[in-house]
Amino acid sequence: MAVAQPAARAVAAPAPRPWWRGRAGLVVAVVLGIVISYFGWRNDVPWPASLTWNSLAAHLDSFQTWLSDHRNLPHPSIVFRAFNGLASFLDDIVGWLTSFFFKLTWIGTTVLGVLVVLRYGGRRAALGVAAAFAAFAAMGLWEPSVRTFALTFASVALALAIGLPLGVLAGRSDRFARAITPVLDAMQIIPAFAYLMPIVILFSVGPGAAVATTLIYAIPPAIRITALGIRGVQPNTVEAATALGATRLQTLFKVQLPLARRMLLLSVNQTILFALSMVVIAGLIGGQGLGDVVTSGLYSNPALALLAGVAIVIMAIALDRATEAMAIRTDPAHRHLTEGKKRRLRLYTLACAAAVGLAVGLGYAFGAGSVWTGWTGQSWLLRQVQSVLDYVQNPSTFVFHITNPIGNFIVQYGLEPLRTFFVATPWPAMVFGLALIAFLVSGLRPALIVAAMLAVVGVANEWTPAMDTLSQVLVATVLTLAVGIPLGIWAAESERARRGMRPVLDVLQTLPQLVYIIPFIYLMPVSIVPGVMASVLYASPVVIRLVEAGIREVSPNSVEAAGAFGATRAQVLLKVKIPLAREAIMLGVNQGLIMVLAVVVIGGLVGSGALGYDVAQGLQRSLFGQGVLASLAILALGIALDRVTQGRRRRRLGDLA
Amino acid sequence: MVRVTTLALPAPPASRVDRSGEPLIRAAGVWKIFGRHADRIIGTSDAELPRAELRAKTGCVAAVRDVSFDVWPGEVFVVMGLSGSGKSTLVRTLIRLIEPSAGQVDIAGKDVTAASQAELRELRRHTSSMVFQHFGLLAHRRVIDNVAFGLEIQGVSKAERLARAEKVLQLVGLEDSANSFPDQLSGGMQQRVGLARAFAVDPKVMLYDEPFSALDPLIRRDMQDEVIRLQHETGKTMVFITHDLPEALRLGDRIAIMRDGAIVQLGTPEELVGSPADEYVENFVRDIPRSHVLTIRWIMRDARPGEEDGPRLDVRTNVRKAIPVIAESERPVCAVEDGRVVGVVDRETVLTAIAGESA
Repeated sequence: MAVAQPAARAVAAPAPRPWWRGRAGLVVAVVLGIVISYFGWRNDVPWPASLTWNSLAAHLDSFQTWLSDHRNLPHPSIVFRAFNGLASFLDDIVGWLTSFFFKLTWIGTTVLGVLVVLRYGGRRAALGVAAAFAAFAAMGLWEPSVRTFALTFASVALALAIGLPLGVLAGRSDRFARAITPVLDAMQIIPAFAYLMPIVILFSVGPGAAVATTLIYAIPPAIRITALGIRGVQPNTVEAATALGATRLQTLFKVQLPLARRMLLLSVNQTILFALSMVVIAGLIGGQGLGDVVTSGLYSNPALALLAGVAIVIMAIALDRATEAMAIRTDPAHRHLTEGKKRRLRLYTLACAAAVGLAVGLGYAFGAGSVWTGWTGQSWLLRQVQSVLDYVQNPSTFVFHITNPIGNFIVQYGLEPLRTFFVATPWPAMVFGLALIAFLVSGLRPALIVAAMLAVVGVANEWTPAMDTLSQVLVATVLTLAVGIPLGIWAAESERARRGMRPVLDVLQTLPQLVYIIPFIYLMPVSIVPGVMASVLYASPVVIRLVEAGIREVSPNSVEAAGAFGATRAQVLLKVKIPLAREAIMLGVNQGLIMVLAVVVIGGLVGSGALGYDVAQGLQRSLFGQGVLASLAILALGIALDRVTQGRRRRRLGDLA
Repeated sequence: MVRVTTLALPAPPASRVDRSGEPLIRAAGVWKIFGRHADRIIGTSDAELPRAELRAKTGCVAAVRDVSFDVWPGEVFVVMGLSGSGKSTLVRTLIRLIEPSAGQVDIAGKDVTAASQAELRELRRHTSSMVFQHFGLLAHRRVIDNVAFGLEIQGVSKAERLARAEKVLQLVGLEDSANSFPDQLSGGMQQRVGLARAFAVDPKVMLYDEPFSALDPLIRRDMQDEVIRLQHETGKTMVFITHDLPEALRLGDRIAIMRDGAIVQLGTPEELVGSPADEYVENFVRDIPRSHVLTIRWIMRDARPGEEDGPRLDVRTNVRKAIPVIAESERPVCAVEDGRVVGVVDRETVLTAIAGESA
């Protein structure tokens, strides 16, 4: 008997299990359990006061007072001097850059920008840059645009100064890569809104704080892509250099860096886009420029805010195309530079530099201002935008009859009931339920982290707003997946759909988070809806791309084999492609949740309430303690949501890059 | 009447291999085991386990197992084996591109395994040089800069290294492509650049890791001729890794056949084809036409009285080349070594030998 068993096991195929016996069934059971507890003990078991650290907010407030008192002493201690020094250093960099561009005069700035891109990126990209300058002038947003560019430039330069060396290290050392990956993961799941408060406390409000915020957001992709580039260098070229007796430094500078050059420039490109998408949020804490225009216009002049949003998008697209063109055109592996060509290019560079000098000279000779102050179409544009906003708000219009019911439907059948459900469900059921789901989906460690994170939320006295936020996140994620997964599959199956979607997705991905919200304030002016809709719009492109990539990466051999057995296209999709792309789709869910959370909390600025509102209050009304606690709760919620859905996959370097 | 009594064919060229002094490369008991705590396995009974069992038991993979050999100055030493036999790992352990787990390697009288990083770099810069299967060229550099790369690493001035690179490019017939970039060349030409890069540093030892496996058969043959020619012109010592037996037989003075990390037979091409050590080697050499590899030494019989005045052939003459002489002669042909007749070959022996290989 004992002998026969293993043999029998090896031969017999496992009996097919019905789905409810599997992990999916258990997850459903846990959800049912939570629902039952809701109906049994609705509102009976709120987070207990005994488990809440009520005075924490007050402590934080007095800590903040203590900090600002000591910071502003005539002779602050060394720590404060260091922080003050760092803050003013960052302030100064932005200030210098801004005044540098202003000193060039608007003619000089334009010629410099266009010629640099023309020299290294080619005619098309330069034309794009010229068009962007024209657009800033026409929108009457020249000055804020230059300020934003200076802020972005400073942030990107610093992000690269930190990110590139670390990325090279992570590319060359497995140990360092393993050590730094969890840190990068954490940096990327924290919603930007959550670290505004701590940064304001450390750097106080100003351009320096804006740069610091942007750095946190922009450094991880710089590190990841650089590491990826170094690792992408063919190992046999590195081995060949080693076999010839190259030192590690020789290998780095003569082989790895030149061959990874294209990826390194791509990481510059990505860093720029990440930094630009932060400028609006940076506007909340003293970053001057377009972001400031957006945030301050949000309530007083929405048309101008929208216009500034468009200007940011234009800048993003121009910079994206320009840096991408530069990355490709300067790649020595594909350029085949001979000595003659090199000499000619050197002349070209000189000519460009001379032209910039000439332009600056002309600017001064003709008394050109530091910024464009001539004709603008701003007032006309504002009128147009305003009339559109008025139109969609007018209850008698056609659009209103579409948007209003949708908004109301989402609130009535999605957001409201779900909020009631989450807030009123007994807290132990929520904590244990979510931890159990995390255990089933991701494993023991993630489950423990989820439980701990939810406990943090409760102790910080943020349980109710956190559950409110959670309900918004859930509704938005469901909508995101409902949009993203089918579109992703469609894009994977149809080349035409992919090509049609690409430019739309590109624009959506370059839009700063806050800009998504503005149109919805008018389109669906029902408290929570703008935040939710904006987050759907923000997260969908990534979900679409991940699903599409996952399905496209399914081995063509498997697809061909299924085809050879006579499977229809639908069968291939349902039985081969989607099951094999499951991991990518799961990653899409995970990323979707994280991105939705980031935008949903920003919705707190425009009436979504919950955790985002507490942070906004903290920033705008100086309720520091409450703001910090809400930030902490957002962070905890983000980590919890990530762990619940991360699945059993191993996070690898570059997963998120 | 004139009888053919002198040598009917010129003797094969005298061996370039110099066995008078010390071997140039000496590998003694080299092991490479991949995995955690691999060093603890060597010397225990686990080390004797077949690969799959070792892996199941310890999670470690024994890539090279107790390999020892000597390579003499001027020799072409071929290591042949199927993929996964450990041959590429072996050649890398020689200059510690992969650290050997145990054993000792000496190159040109220097203990490589005990060398410091700086000494190791010196060895790699000046004594050895390697040609890779996938070329490992630098895509962002011109051909001539690729060839000069080893010299650049050594710190040779730009003018001097470019002058030397140009000479080496002439040697491999690529002088017209000096200003091209690697991706503008065919695979065969790219590997010529790889060859030139290795030659440019004027090493004592050339290591080839399956250099022609990625090339088309016809180009592969050209490249083999190129290696033979370069070897004749420069007299370099070569360690040549291949999975292709005909290539091994064409190039090698001696051949080591590897299986599962160990050498199963080491010998001259004739020895492998004439007397395979085991069934594994026999399976390999079965399809090789024996007459192309074997010399008449392998098929001759003792001379009977009165047969010693027939036409004479050097005993190292290969059977295929001896056939026309034997076919023309009425009398058995004498095999001569150092002026002495050591045996005779007649039509019957040749026919038996040829018949034997098709059986």
